[in-house]
Amino acid sequence: MSEIIVKVQDLHKSYGDHEVVKGISFDVKKGETFGILGPNGAGKTTTLEMMETLRPIDRGSVTIDGTDVAEQPQKIKYMIGVQTQSTAFMDKVKLTELLEQQAAAYGEKTDIDQLLKDVNLSDKAGSYIENLSGGQKQRFSIAAALVHNPKVFFLDEPTTGLDPQARRRLWELVQRLQKRDITVILTTHYMEEAEVLCERVAIMDEGTIVAMDSPKNLVQQLLKRGFKKERRVEQADLEDVFIDITGKKLEN
Amino acid sequence: MPKWLFTILVFAKISVRRYFRDKIAIFFTVAFPLIFLFVFGSLNGGNNSVSFNVALINQSSSQFATSFDNQLHSNKMFKISQTIDNLTQAKDKMSKSEIDATIVLPPDFGVVKGGPNPAGQALIYYDQNSALVAQTLQSVMQGIFQNINAKYIKIKEPFSVASQSTNTRGLSKMDYTVSGLLGFSIIGLGIFGPINYFPEMKKQGVLRRLHITPLRVWQFFVSSVLSNAVIGLFSIAIMLAVARAVFNFHMVGNYFELAAFIILGILTIFGIGLAIGGWAKNENQAAPLANIIVFPMMFLSGTFFPRYAMPQWLQHVSAYLPLTPIIDGIRMIATEGKHLTDIGPQIGLTALWAVIIYAIAFRVFRWE
Repeated sequence: MSEIIVKVQDLHKSYGDHEVVKGISFDVKKGETFGILGPNGAGKTTTLEMMETLRPIDRGSVTIDGTDVAEQPQKIKYMIGVQTQSTAFMDKVKLTELLEQQAAAYGEKTDIDQLLKDVNLSDKAGSYIENLSGGQKQRFSIAAALVHNPKVFFLDEPTTGLDPQARRRLWELVQRLQKRDITVILTTHYMEEAEVLCERVAIMDEGTIVAMDSPKNLVQQLLKRGFKKERRVEQADLEDVFIDITGKKLEN
Repeated sequence: MPKWLFTILVFAKISVRRYFRDKIAIFFTVAFPLIFLFVFGSLNGGNNSVSFNVALINQSSSQFATSFDNQLHSNKMFKISQTIDNLTQAKDKMSKSEIDATIVLPPDFGVVKGGPNPAGQALIYYDQNSALVAQTLQSVMQGIFQNINAKYIKIKEPFSVASQSTNTRGLSKMDYTVSGLLGFSIIGLGIFGPINYFPEMKKQGVLRRLHITPLRVWQFFVSSVLSNAVIGLFSIAIMLAVARAVFNFHMVGNYFELAAFIILGILTIFGIGLAIGGWAKNENQAAPLANIIVFPMMFLSGTFFPRYAMPQWLQHVSAYLPLTPIIDGIRMIATEGKHLTDIGPQIGLTALWAVIIYAIAFRVFRWE
């Protein structure tokens, strides 16, 4: 059993009278990919933002590798990487310069070429961010979040708005991170994404965690309760057809 | 190099590079002030010598009056209107500020009476709106008469005053205009820039991404000030070069002292932009606030109109605006050849404003 790196205990957050996170607790193991699922407004993003030091914690605590987020936010910032929902960067700045600047924010120099290679953007090194496609921007923002070799990597809805090919490329990228033993915490509202990437998921609704287990176990439990899908599951779906016809390599 | 300094230098370097790729930014910081320079430059005619637009009405038929009349006509200091020959006409022109004053030589001017030499008194008529010019004109005329008097009465006056210009040439209107326009340029760069791009960066989430990193607000501020100072000195250097080449602007002072003082000015004014842009969530919040602050400063601090032309009470008030000591200091160094040690009050007031402005900017800054 591997050690626990992220510990969330009884986390609360209210905006005015409205409590959006109502006392949630979970642990994430080192090297694990943990998904937080849920509909819009479930409190996923707020939870993530509290863990990322971006939002004050009302009650409860988050510790990452033994460091309390509320007490030592500056130390936490060196330990975590965050891929935000927005993929905007300053315009008229080359990708290499953006990475140089991002690393400098941590007081470091980084291996820019390797980072760009990791996200398949080596040939775009001299381009400006505004000349990249949506999927390329998304991959680049992951590279930017990894400049300082974080222990824990947060992704907030990384594939929202991407076409199927771009989404699959991003999944491959996250899977490569898993091999590097980086702990990944992501939010999504695509169930397929959670099934492919996450070892464990927490399903949130209205500020509480309503279920938490591996995707496989959650499905098993459902089936045990006698659930039957109305339609027989096909071996391929329309998305597979689309990818088969258009070809994955088109998105570059 | 300490890590904090490395961070600041990389950020500053990249934002300077970014500026030079941004044609719109270059237009507003370099071309835009240059347009003003050309407008004001041509208004002032690029002429740096003192001259008076006057009407000369000679009512005397004496020989002295005629030769005096000719003397004034050939004096380059006087631009004498050829079309005006009576006082009514002259008054009309004066009230429209088409001429500065009217010199009248009365009928008895230059007539020899009760003594060996011709005598008389010339009259200067002026309109309220050009009282200052009339006073100067009077002293100039007095000087001319003194020379004439000396020819008739050979006496050695026990006291005299001699004046010697420390500048190679006198202060021209253009010299005033240029220091005002440098102030305008500092405002454009330091306020109108950041109030647009900070809210824009917030809206796009660019600042949020920086907020996730350990980057401190003060590091972000210092790097922004640094890049702004580099860009500002670049744009001001171009203005000065054009002003010198095209409009006979005389740089009397030391360039390094001027640059050092301008950096202080840029730092202070940019702080206003940082405070507004750093506070505002969007452009709609930033623009009105910026206008409330910028426009009074632009008109009262001597950017377009010299402050000495304002009523006394307004001069007292406007003396304490942040931009006023900056423009005064620039003018004192550039056109009067003063040193940094001579402009202590200007440096002190500017620095005081910088402290106040940055205290506010730090307090109100928001990453998103």
